[in-house]
Amino acid sequence: MSLFLQRTFDSLANGSAYAALAVAISMVFRSTGVLNLAQGQLAMFSTYIALVLATGPSPYMKFSSNTDLIGAAWPVWAAILGAIVISMVIGAFTERVIIRPISADPVAAVGATLGLYLLLGAFVRKQWGGRTMFLGSPFPQTAEDRWDIGGARLWHDSVGITLTMIAVLGLLAVLQRRTKAGLAFRAVTSNRTGSLLVGVRVSRVLMLGWALAAGIGALAGGLIAGEINVRPDMMGRLLVFGLAAATLGGLRSPALAFVGGYLFAFLETMLGGYVSFVDSQVTLVWALLVLIIVLFVRPSGLMPRTEAWQQR
Amino acid sequence: MTVQESRISSVKRAAWIIASAAFIAACLRVAFWATPKIVTDLSNVVALSLAFAGLVLLTHYLGLLSLGQGAFVGVGAYAALHAVNDFGAPVLWMPLAGLVAGTLVGAVVAIPSLRLPKAYLALLTLSLGVAYPIILRQIDGNLPVTLDGEFVAPSWTGIAENDEHIWEFFIVAAYAAVTLFLVQGLLRGPIGRAFIASRDQPEAARAFGIPVYRLRLYGVALSGGMAGLAGGLLMIPTNFNDYTHFPEELSIKMFALAMAFGGSRLISAVPGAIVLIFLPVWLIDRNWVVEYGWVGLVKSEGFIYAALLLATAYLTKGKGFMHLFERRQPKSEVQPEPEVQPSNRQVTSVVRGLVDLDEQLVHLEGLVGDRPDIRSRQETKD
Repeated sequence: MSLFLQRTFDSLANGSAYAALAVAISMVFRSTGVLNLAQGQLAMFSTYIALVLATGPSPYMKFSSNTDLIGAAWPVWAAILGAIVISMVIGAFTERVIIRPISADPVAAVGATLGLYLLLGAFVRKQWGGRTMFLGSPFPQTAEDRWDIGGARLWHDSVGITLTMIAVLGLLAVLQRRTKAGLAFRAVTSNRTGSLLVGVRVSRVLMLGWALAAGIGALAGGLIAGEINVRPDMMGRLLVFGLAAATLGGLRSPALAFVGGYLFAFLETMLGGYVSFVDSQVTLVWALLVLIIVLFVRPSGLMPRTEAWQQR
Repeated sequence: MTVQESRISSVKRAAWIIASAAFIAACLRVAFWATPKIVTDLSNVVALSLAFAGLVLLTHYLGLLSLGQGAFVGVGAYAALHAVNDFGAPVLWMPLAGLVAGTLVGAVVAIPSLRLPKAYLALLTLSLGVAYPIILRQIDGNLPVTLDGEFVAPSWTGIAENDEHIWEFFIVAAYAAVTLFLVQGLLRGPIGRAFIASRDQPEAARAFGIPVYRLRLYGVALSGGMAGLAGGLLMIPTNFNDYTHFPEELSIKMFALAMAFGGSRLISAVPGAIVLIFLPVWLIDRNWVVEYGWVGLVKSEGFIYAALLLATAYLTKGKGFMHLFERRQPKSEVQPEPEVQPSNRQVTSVVRGLVDLDEQLVHLEGLVGDRPDIRSRQETKD
């Protein structure tokens, strides 16, 4: 039982990252109909921004991971906040300059997001090299920073990451339900032409959607970087799980995508832990299989069938 | 057919025959006189042309997105290699194992995802592209798996024993030519037209009895099969496979090139394959890959592909640069608007009446807008 509990606790941090990416993907797809395949790369790029903010513009940084430098310029939490703000600006800029002129053509829009994916990957590799670097966690991360519950260890930083993510996504839900901007966002996702006719400034709302999605991705990248380290391909695996989780929400429900993120992380940890021929690398394959099976059995994901099938 | 049209047609045919003969002669010349490295690279180009053609079929004929074409190629390579090593299949026929494996994986991916909006196919294929190297590493391990077989040219070819690269090139070219010929023939016929109908007007196509879902499924399976065959063919000049051969970035680069250079003919797949194989060689020759910073970024492969994708998205609206050169319908051939039938006239008059009514409403709203007192009274009532 304690082992099961331990594995459940272990899945929390990863679940938060998957959930955040899934929510970001769902938000963009829901509002613009564009599958933002650069979401993972945007998050990776933001993590590098956080790293630069935390270490300062040291030339040594470019070629080595010197942990002494972390926090030398800004504390890690401030660096992550700074990265979120910069990412939101980049997200809004991306929508305005890259996506909006071609948003009428989904193939061109997906192509543009892939272009961004490659561009960010190339930029990071050429600016900071392909080596693994370390960005600390904004939460305590020493061996003593834990609670022992039922024989299992619950780490403070896992709880911190999970609670932060739940709080931010809760805030997002409140923003969507209780504010004018949220009302406009819901109107645009529900009926864009109708929203335009009643005077909603659709372009601004879409820009806000992209900015928020980029911000959430940056938060996910910054928080998970303490667990998986920073490198150019850090988000590949997370993106697949994020996409899978978004699929569980029918690509349109951020709430269900959020649940899907934790579900996939739980599944990943349990499969890796209890099934002898499944190691940590192959869990990705099992996630893919689960995704295919879900699409076979329930094409609408966890969404009510009628709502999902209206999208066809 | 008029006499003039018949003459044009025979001139075209003759031009095609001359072009084909010149192409074959060029291939023979390259195969026999170029260095083994270049011949091997060209074999890879020819093999990958098939994978690109599959992608062109998906993107330009069916309007679908596949971001895991590299993984399908990898599946084909794996199947071909293991068909020889584990089941003793003849090396000459091993690409067919790749064809079968690619078709099956394509169908498995397509069956669930095509029931949903088009984005799901992109999503699932991208996931496959990311997962493929991990799966292969788990199955085959970190070390490369080498092919247990050789390609020895028969004596009647006159190819020396140590010139196996020439024989390999001919095998790959023969497979690719036959496949491209068959698939292009398929696309010229009713199936190709049904593909285009299902891309442009799926609802209308359904109304005309075209099974859109099944057609797309066949399209994805065919595309996967072509990629699988390409993977099997790649194993002929390469002779080994490991998990680093087909990374997820390969699929994305392939998609970028298919989008940029793809057109309404499968032959448009060739430029993409040439760029994919020779661009890294060109960059390495110039030592650009070791440059860092902003200059290094502009000279990097990732930047070039990103620029290509963005340029394709903006300049051609995702239709590809070949689209700019494709023949436009001459003005004289443009069909005149059909005469409105009597039964449609009533509908037209009703629509016109509604439009007039709408204009009057807009006018009235304008008048109300000019009278703030009316508006405030209305708001009070609300």
